[in-house]
Amino acid sequence: MNIVVCVKQVPDTYEEKKLSDADKTLDRESVEGVMNELDEYAVEEALRLKEAHGGEVTILTMGPEKAVETIRKALSMGADSAVHVVDPALHGSDALATSYALAKALGTIEHDLVILGVESTDARMSVIPAMLAERTGAAQLSFARKVEVDGSTVKIERQTDTGYDVVEAQTPAIVSVVEKINEPRYPSFKGIMAAKKKPLTTLTLADAGIEASNVGLSGSGTSVAEFAARPPKQAGTIVKDEGDGGVKLAEFLASQKII
Amino acid sequence: MYAWSDTELAIRDAIRDFVNAEIRPHVDALESGEMPPYPLIRKMFSAFGIDAMMAASVDKQIARDRDPKKEAQGERGSDDAMHLLLSIELCKVSMGLATAMGVSVGLAGGTIMSRGDVEQKERWARDLMTFTKVGAWAITEPNSGSDAFGGMTTTVRPEGDGYVLNGEKTFITNGPFADTAVVYAKLDDGSSDDKRRRPVLTFVLDAGMDGFTQSAPLAKMGIHSSPTGQLFFSDVYLERDRLLGGGGEGASDGRESARSNFTTERVGIAAMSLGVIEECLSLCIDYAKNRELWGQRIGDFQLIQLKIANMEVARQNVQNMVFRTIELRRAGKTPTLAEASAMKYYASQAATEVAMEAVQLFGGNGYMSEYRVEQLARDAKSLMIYAGSNEVQITHVARGLLS
Repeated sequence: MNIVVCVKQVPDTYEEKKLSDADKTLDRESVEGVMNELDEYAVEEALRLKEAHGGEVTILTMGPEKAVETIRKALSMGADSAVHVVDPALHGSDALATSYALAKALGTIEHDLVILGVESTDARMSVIPAMLAERTGAAQLSFARKVEVDGSTVKIERQTDTGYDVVEAQTPAIVSVVEKINEPRYPSFKGIMAAKKKPLTTLTLADAGIEASNVGLSGSGTSVAEFAARPPKQAGTIVKDEGDGGVKLAEFLASQKII
Repeated sequence: MYAWSDTELAIRDAIRDFVNAEIRPHVDALESGEMPPYPLIRKMFSAFGIDAMMAASVDKQIARDRDPKKEAQGERGSDDAMHLLLSIELCKVSMGLATAMGVSVGLAGGTIMSRGDVEQKERWARDLMTFTKVGAWAITEPNSGSDAFGGMTTTVRPEGDGYVLNGEKTFITNGPFADTAVVYAKLDDGSSDDKRRRPVLTFVLDAGMDGFTQSAPLAKMGIHSSPTGQLFFSDVYLERDRLLGGGGEGASDGRESARSNFTTERVGIAAMSLGVIEECLSLCIDYAKNRELWGQRIGDFQLIQLKIANMEVARQNVQNMVFRTIELRRAGKTPTLAEASAMKYYASQAATEVAMEAVQLFGGNGYMSEYRVEQLARDAKSLMIYAGSNEVQITHVARGLLS
């Protein structure tokens, strides 16, 4: 079972993120880049499947040069190789354009399964898995909290608000995972030392057969029209209890349409 | 000039991730003794594959002992950098954890690895090096700290095919919970030799042996997450196979075995000091940028700037000492005892001063546990005392120069 894990480098969740004034895209240079947390679960799940069923795990990342740090981390966790799609023309790609580029890159890697986190902590669109499934024609198994593979059948427990559904599909399939699925391993020291020697292929637009007109700011279907900093918190309303505190609270909740 | 390589920085980041996720949330429980340090150390060994690497390294050494023609392989320097990075990162949060780990692996396990025969390495060293078992290294006594050998009153008397051990040890890291203890004792063979000059022998003891008692943890100023205790020996019978460094009266003197540990231990203290200094500096910079007085951030005051600048000077100096150690080892050399003592003397004092200044910079908040610098200051002070008090380091530096 050959697995591709889509991994994204995102700004450190604990740092203050900002948009660039010049082109209204995320400023990735001013903050530390880390592996999207949900993708760590995806890498872990792929490694567990590989350990149980054999095959190879390939990391696929689209992002600027510095995203290579995140690729190395995934390799040090135990992935076998990586493909990095890097080209200045990709800058500013929205979800639609990104899914197009990733689908093209996927076409260069032999695989049975694609695993990725359900969303990235920067954009939080949560649409790439579905878009990738649509573009590649693979089955979509989303919000997996458990994955089982039996030959070419992939069965997942799909997390829902009230419990889970059991869903299965034939490979090739795209599986998005939730954080409940496992506990990602730390890269071992040996793994970190070995990561440097693992194959890392770099693809430009031309290498992956990506049309420049379909990616980047101009090739995106959406654009950021304007943005503003979140306004500072307003002072709250203090309700003094003069025997009618309960009533006042109920009125307040009703006025906010909460009850 | 040495600098951390990309791989070493990746290792550092991985350790940081582990420390932030697995250790920081438990610091209060570790410091209060509610949580023992050992399960966390084992988790770390397993997470990073340190246990497997150590086991492989013990097996390699045993294979070389059996067949001396086999040459040592691999780059020793990279192992050193890894261990030093572990010390640096752990000491930012819990110097006690670094101490408990370092004594068990480096001193107890390390002594058996360097002085033991193949059977002894298989019997004790593998479990200590992989942290499957906890080790103690016992030299200090109530009346012999820095004068460890001269004033030592714990004795072994030859009896039958073995020895009988009597005496006590104190300030022993992991003493209360150790499964295995490496113990130094003076040979009492009835000769009329000056007691101060009698041979010192090194033995390996197992917890639970008849006549061997381990105390409860002692209350102390800092490094609370490292249990420290006393060991008592009352007619403990030791078979000959527990003696390290060869049998009989011709056994190599334990003084030599202990001294070779001093260099490793003292160099290790430079790394531990660097951890304290880096953490204090980072906390102080953050505080100086955010704490406001008289309408401006305190980092704008020159007296605060002086403190931060001095911390940075200490950081650069101690980091250079750590780098120098790595460079020396990569060149197949070890620092001399005088050089290691100079590093320990300077680095431990610098860490203590930096941490005390950090408390001062934080003011009232610094005196409160919540802001963490007071723990760093209490922990750092131990570095000036253990592994030979700084006063003894000074004599070793001076003797090296004057000899």
